Amino acid sequence: MTSRGRRTFLVVSGLALLYAGFRIVPGLVREDLVFEEIDDPVGFRRLTAGKSSAGFDPFFGLEDQTENNHADAESRVRRNICTTLYGDALGSGEDVPVASFSDYYCPYCRVQTKRLAAMEARPGSGIRIAWHELPLLGETSTLAAKAALAARNQGAYPAFHERLMKSPFQATPEYLQALADDIEIDHERLTADMNGERVLLDLENSAALARIFDFIGTPAMVIGRTVIQGEISERSIQDLVERERAEGWASVCRQT
Amino acid sequence: MSADLRERISTHLGWVSRRLVLVLAASLSTATSVVAAGSESFRNPAVDARLITAENGINPDATSISAGIHLQLGEDWKTYWRSPGEVGLPPSIDWTGSANIEEAEFLWPAPERFTAFGIENFGYHDEVVFPIRIVLSEPGMPVALRARVSLLTCSTVCVPQEFDLSLDLPRASGIDNAAAGLISTYAARVPDDGTDSGIRITSAHLDDAKTALTLTARSDEPFEAPDIFPELGEGTAFGKPDIRMAEGGRLVWARLPVLAAASDPAEFQVTVTDGNRAATLKPALAEDAPAPPFNIAAAVPGLGELAWIAAIAFLGGLILNVMPCVLPVLSIKLSSAIKSGDLSPARIRTGFAVSALGVLAFMWVLAGATIAARGFGLTVGWGLQFQNPIFLAVMLVVLVIFSANLFGLFEIALPSSWQTRLSRAGGGAGYGGDFATGAFAAILATPCSAPFLGTAIAFALAGRAIDIAVIFTALGVGLSLPYLVVAAFPQIVRRLPRPGRWMIVLKIVLGMALAATALWLFWVLSGVAGQTAALWIGLASIGAMALLSAHRIPAGARITGASALAAFAIALSGYLSEADQSAPNAGVDWAEFERSEIARLVSTGQVVFVDVTADWCLTCKANKTLVLDREPVASRLREPSIVAMRADWTRPDESISRYLESFGRYGIPFNAVYGPAAPGGIVLPELLSTEAVLEALSDAGSGRVASKQ
Repeated sequence: MTSRGRRTFLVVSGLALLYAGFRIVPGLVREDLVFEEIDDPVGFRRLTAGKSSAGFDPFFGLEDQTENNHADAESRVRRNICTTLYGDALGSGEDVPVASFSDYYCPYCRVQTKRLAAMEARPGSGIRIAWHELPLLGETSTLAAKAALAARNQGAYPAFHERLMKSPFQATPEYLQALADDIEIDHERLTADMNGERVLLDLENSAALARIFDFIGTPAMVIGRTVIQGEISERSIQDLVERERAEGWASVCRQT
Repeated sequence: MSADLRERISTHLGWVSRRLVLVLAASLSTATSVVAAGSESFRNPAVDARLITAENGINPDATSISAGIHLQLGEDWKTYWRSPGEVGLPPSIDWTGSANIEEAEFLWPAPERFTAFGIENFGYHDEVVFPIRIVLSEPGMPVALRARVSLLTCSTVCVPQEFDLSLDLPRASGIDNAAAGLISTYAARVPDDGTDSGIRITSAHLDDAKTALTLTARSDEPFEAPDIFPELGEGTAFGKPDIRMAEGGRLVWARLPVLAAASDPAEFQVTVTDGNRAATLKPALAEDAPAPPFNIAAAVPGLGELAWIAAIAFLGGLILNVMPCVLPVLSIKLSSAIKSGDLSPARIRTGFAVSALGVLAFMWVLAGATIAARGFGLTVGWGLQFQNPIFLAVMLVVLVIFSANLFGLFEIALPSSWQTRLSRAGGGAGYGGDFATGAFAAILATPCSAPFLGTAIAFALAGRAIDIAVIFTALGVGLSLPYLVVAAFPQIVRRLPRPGRWMIVLKIVLGMALAATALWLFWVLSGVAGQTAALWIGLASIGAMALLSAHRIPAGARITGASALAAFAIALSGYLSEADQSAPNAGVDWAEFERSEIARLVSTGQVVFVDVTADWCLTCKANKTLVLDREPVASRLREPSIVAMRADWTRPDESISRYLESFGRYGIPFNAVYGPAAPGGIVLPELLSTEAVLEALSDAGSGRVASKQ
């Protein structure tokens, strides 16, 4: 009994330890950052994160747009890829620029957007975020995106963002009116701006960027020179930002 | 040619001709099912999608077909229900370009709830079939299905998909069993109106400020794992429900916070799911909110509840100290440590604190093991456990056996070699020794504390990791309290009670407490799983206890036998309680279809109603819920002068096929009414209407239509 008992005890505790190891250890170890250089646009790389985005058709959204506009927008964006991507987030000294692409109707976009906003708000975060609207999920998505961009004309983009992260967007004039009153902006101007040139140009630019970077869906990000598809942990974002800073992401903006 | 060779050739020819027959037979059988009833599939890493139909082709006179979109989702990929939650997008199909389609009714199987980062979504993972009932504009004519499917699939990234699926159905007959099977499986998961599922909503209330929806649902068959999905139109989103069950699981009370309310709420409906059954109901909103049931069983224990659990566990740990095999160890350790004198008081105090830590360490190991066991699937939801017969059976067995242990019927003993080794190892110097003292004291105490630790483990299995950690930490703090107290006031050692007879009395009193708990659980169990099941489980656990206390039988055999009996009791609880739950089938009492019976019944003046149906036949289901199971047809069919017969064609059945053929029919739904006035049968249209059924029933009985057949 004694030697058998001891053996059983050892085996059982060994199994328990192994199990605990499998459950706990992966959470402690940092996710490995695996990259894949991309040919076009040159200088950028893709975070593969163990998952492949291969196998999906290049995607243009649920709403069809005309091919001509696509080509025009793409060549325009290609000439100034970094400025279109990062806008004001560029050239702010030490900060690493992050371009975030999201849709108000995509579940993980909410998670990612909240996370990014919280990270940026922290003092000494070292990141600057450029928000892009990439409405892929139909008409209501597009309307929400347009309203958000129109709100930006009145400096109310963050307030709008925050509001939409709390409740679903409803594509009704009454809702827009209530929303405008709520975040204290001019409702007339908001509805006018929604189909204004600046909003449409922004949407076109973001869509062109999505095609250039071969996004398969939302959320998507570009941090420095790394293209990321899907939601990733705050830890991974931080690691990436540090790495981009150390490696000198800015070189990519000089190349293109 | 030698005879030998001739023989070989003839055997060879025989083989060839046999093969030929096989090939011919195979090609014939494929000829009857001209096309595979499925489209080419659209495939990418997120989803593999196909359009399928139960029928291989369009039967003459067929007015509808049963189709479906079959989605196989990649690992971690999900797609959404018609009401996807806060955000998300339901699938949709545009049938533009199809030929001979009048109407396509898209059916939604009951969804499941996904919660990620605080966002609630409802949908499907792995695999789903959306059954689609297609009504033809020209009966019996070929159909061309052109489906433009829009679908949102999400894993960590949301990928909207848009693709085309096409399927042509020529004039042909035959059923694709694989496709029909898939469609029927998922058609069965489409929520009903409560008729078959037996689920009804007894009250619903939405407060004026639109902050929460409160409702109660009932079912004669106890709920197992209910979930609630209300819909109040686009723009209204509900949070995670607080679900409480009562009355042995027959009553569900739920409160759902409203996360966002639309300015103009649309029609209110609620889908209640429970395992394989589900119902979508449209309750009226009441003025007052239903009160939560008395035996509150919150989905997750709140902070206050957790504090109570911790307090009880702490008390339990404290009581463990006066147990017969803990107290002696404790007093020896304490007094020897104090007397061994030449250490500074500060050193002694730290030493005791470290010993207390040792006790805690042992408890944390137990907590870790319990959490691991829970991870292996030994889990039951908090609050729901007292409705779960298996959990109750496990608890009953554990309590019966351990109370027997406290009565002294048998001993739980550590191998003696462990005991000596442990007590020797505890004597080491330094903080390591102190730590070991604490840990080993806890281990040495197991023969007495096992009944309580075992019970605690069994209870803790029902909790979350945090509950388990709290329970065991509190137990450990309770058990190590004497060390901590002595560390603070060393002179208290002399006041500790001395071991004696009173300890045996205490043991018996505690044993009686455990036995009383066991009795209570037995009572609960008989309410949940039925008296027979409870009786058997009780007998099996008493048997296990008797076996353990039979000292003549060798230890190995005793333990094996007892575990077998315990396992038997637990398995029994799952089996018996399931057998107990045969759903009462309300509505029409259907007789098994027997073609030869029809003529006999008609000759005695009866009216016979025949319904040929199949699980995959979506129009049959529509007929059933909209006409046959509904008043006034349902009560008409229950009349003694009318015999309702149902033929189930879910699996191919030669006699049913021949019966259909006798009417020139090769597909279903098929309904006919026979009677003295219509011995040859009145065939009803595929899509039933209440009027048509009632008229045929009275015509067949009255003799007005004798000329019709």
